[in-house]
Amino acid sequence: MPGLIDAFEANARRAVATVERIASSPAAVRAAVARVVKDSRVIVLGPGEFLSSELMDPLRELPGLVPQPSDEMLSTADAGISSAFAGIASSGSVCVAMGPPLAAAVSLLMPLHVVLVCANRIVKRPRDLFDPACLGGEALKRNLVLITGPSATADMGPLVRGVHGPHRLQIFVLE
Amino acid sequence: MTTMRTVNTQAVQADSPRSVANKSDRQRLLRAIRMALSIQSPAVRRNTQTFNRNRYRATGLLPDYEALKDQARQIKERSIANLPQLIAQLGKTVRERGGHVLLAAGADEACRYVRNVCVRHGARLVVKGKSITTEEIRLNHVLEEAGMEVAESDLAEFILQVADEQPSHIIAPAIHYSRERITALFKRKFQTDLALDTGEELTKFAREILRNKFLHADVGITGANLVAADTGTLMLVESEGNIRMTSLLPPVHIAVAGVEKIIGTRQEMAPFLELLAASGTGQPLTSYTSFLSPPLDDPPFALPGKARKPREFHLVLIDNGRMRMRDDSVFRETLYCIRCSACLNSCANFQTVGGHAFGGETYSGGIGGAWEAGTGRLENARFSELCTGCSRCVNQCPVRIDIPWLNENLRNRLNSASETFLTSGILTTMTGAPEVDQSAPASKLFFGNYHQFAEWGTRFAPLANAIANWGPARSAMERWLGLDGRRSLPAFPGQTLVRAAENEPLTRTEQPTARAVLFADVFTNYGLAHRGVAVLRLLRKMGVDVVVSESVPEGRAALSQGLLATAALYAQRAASLLDHYLDEGRDVIVLEPSSLAMFRRDALHLLENQAQFGRLRSWTFEPLEYITRLIEKSGRKPQEFFDIDRSTVGTRLFYHSHCQQKTIGCAAPTETLLRDIGFDVVSSSVECCGMAGSFGYKQDFYELSMAVGEDLFQQVRTAEEDGGPRALLASGTSCSEQLHAGMNREVLHPVELLAAIVRSSGK
Repeated sequence: MPGLIDAFEANARRAVATVERIASSPAAVRAAVARVVKDSRVIVLGPGEFLSSELMDPLRELPGLVPQPSDEMLSTADAGISSAFAGIASSGSVCVAMGPPLAAAVSLLMPLHVVLVCANRIVKRPRDLFDPACLGGEALKRNLVLITGPSATADMGPLVRGVHGPHRLQIFVLE
Repeated sequence: MTTMRTVNTQAVQADSPRSVANKSDRQRLLRAIRMALSIQSPAVRRNTQTFNRNRYRATGLLPDYEALKDQARQIKERSIANLPQLIAQLGKTVRERGGHVLLAAGADEACRYVRNVCVRHGARLVVKGKSITTEEIRLNHVLEEAGMEVAESDLAEFILQVADEQPSHIIAPAIHYSRERITALFKRKFQTDLALDTGEELTKFAREILRNKFLHADVGITGANLVAADTGTLMLVESEGNIRMTSLLPPVHIAVAGVEKIIGTRQEMAPFLELLAASGTGQPLTSYTSFLSPPLDDPPFALPGKARKPREFHLVLIDNGRMRMRDDSVFRETLYCIRCSACLNSCANFQTVGGHAFGGETYSGGIGGAWEAGTGRLENARFSELCTGCSRCVNQCPVRIDIPWLNENLRNRLNSASETFLTSGILTTMTGAPEVDQSAPASKLFFGNYHQFAEWGTRFAPLANAIANWGPARSAMERWLGLDGRRSLPAFPGQTLVRAAENEPLTRTEQPTARAVLFADVFTNYGLAHRGVAVLRLLRKMGVDVVVSESVPEGRAALSQGLLATAALYAQRAASLLDHYLDEGRDVIVLEPSSLAMFRRDALHLLENQAQFGRLRSWTFEPLEYITRLIEKSGRKPQEFFDIDRSTVGTRLFYHSHCQQKTIGCAAPTETLLRDIGFDVVSSSVECCGMAGSFGYKQDFYELSMAVGEDLFQQVRTAEEDGGPRALLASGTSCSEQLHAGMNREVLHPVELLAAIVRSSGK
């Protein structure tokens, strides 16, 4: 639904994520991701279980991508790439499953988190995630996180973006 | 690595936050208020008011906000009712999934268990996510005694650990710190040459210290916002990413949660998602909301040199008084609390002093007293005196807890626990208060039974007014009754409203537009009879057949002092009196908003017959609310009833509605009607004026009351910048006194203005 995608985009921007709609083709995905990670020296690719291997595989060729990073490399990597199983329009959130190897790390440890979400997986409100009808009959993952913008704090006085988690959140909506 | 341990060795200075954490007696409470007003007020005010504005905006964007609150309330009611079964079910679920569970009866047992887990793993560094429950059980202290380093990773908790202070807010524990004070603190404690003079620099500085802790921690300890019994899922809400780090990186994760966090199913978490974020920080969702059913399958983090261990998960459920609260018909409601902080941020007193004055050793704000008393000692809840019962938090609570009612009950129990003084004995004899309320302090008996003093005062008005303003008498009143000498006392009029009404011409109307009774509330009857007369003239000109009731207290004053038996007795008497008029088909008009709120809201707790309460709630009206209905019923325009050109105070108004009036939803009609007549109205946006009935008259709270009022006074000044003075209007008796004290100008009730401009027979 175009209305949902528009709302998702607007609300994700309000939460200070960067959002871009791209075509759901291997070339478009690769080009878009390559562009945002071009300054990242060490890049880690998380599990792409929500996207076809046709879309994910070209990403494995990105310069700087470390195929099987050690924990030490994870702790100093510059960018993490992951796929989201859903997006939430009213909050501009992306929903990332945790549990598979690297899934938590790529959405948490690096200063830049790039996340890919399919346009047809955007639900209206957070509570819809709990309704299997909204996710094509799928039950909700056992471990997951709803990510709304980069990490932030107001504890040091003014609002600061970029605390322990990523400082930048780049979302690509695949249409 | 910078060690955190050195910071706890600082000696506690006089009147530091730590030294006033315990407010079990009056002197300490007063010192805490002075400390907060002198140091913390500007930061607390700015930060809580930002939260407050953001919450109004965020909840306003939820199309089904009220329905979500109902759902959340039902889930919590059901969960607490089934708590023993849910605890058993959750224990079974977590164990089946390979985790460990402890139900700890008290703080000692919980701390011992956590310490033993850490010791068994040879832990040297424990990293913690924000958890107010671990503050409650004093966990850090126990782990540090056992030789471990405990690193608080939430930046606010990090600041408090460096400063060695207790939290001052439920979700923003260092809300009392301005950026400037954090800079000074870090420079002092870390002996650094870095500038650290922006939020970004301070955050970077703390992040670098803490990143190391996350990567090297042996154990991670978090709290939980909710726990689902069916799946063992923890819901963890945060913005910084520290809770994710703490729960995901170390091999051992210990979650510490009060038993009240348990709900039946993961599905039931759904309505809380948006409610918690909107009510807390005022966001659609915070940066991270995690749903974890530990232990996770993927291996924990292990840097070189560290053995890669399998994941281990412990859930420590804390009773610590909660099951006793569950058995208490009043305080059970506390367990529905989801710790969102809406009641703190919407509270005018809290906005002004924060949780180091309006809070105990762990919990703060309106709901804090019930938590402190429930998980500790009743005396720890003495700070709940700062709840004025203004009720602004009531509609803000996402699970509909009647927080003022909890605080009135705390006051009642504290009254019974206090010593009986000679003055109390004399006063109980004078007031005839029910026996159970007789142990209350003299000040409470005086304010709670004000109508009796007012009655004598009016009977002997000239003499009483002279005495009331005679120096030695004021000193005595300050000393024995706690009535602050700096407050001017409202003069007793020569005539009560009831007597004045007898002299009013009774215009007979053949076919009245409505039939009504004006309830002669104590404040109007004995203090502001002319306002009551204005209502009579106004309604009679609009064709209403209106009479005045006998003047009886409705119990508001007694309730606010925690004199519950007295309040129930008075509420019942007033309800019976009004029943008689309702039987005659008369609508009840109530001028004083706090009296009206008693009939529309508080009497729910005080009247035995719920049908009687239901009828009272439906047929009591604020005067301008009632007039608006009359105009609507007539199908005519407000200008046909009122002639703005006859206004003697001009057309520019500043209107301040009463706190309880806002809560029961009848502030808006006044603003709308005045605008519809043609007035240029600026409305105050403060939650409460700070006087709050008797609160601001009390010697103990005078400074706080005036500090709260300053926000209101400033709004008047700002509203007058665009073209000169505005006539000041307020609907509450005590609000008028406060506005008068702050601006030193006449303050009118809207009915006085309307009575002056009403057209004859509404033409």
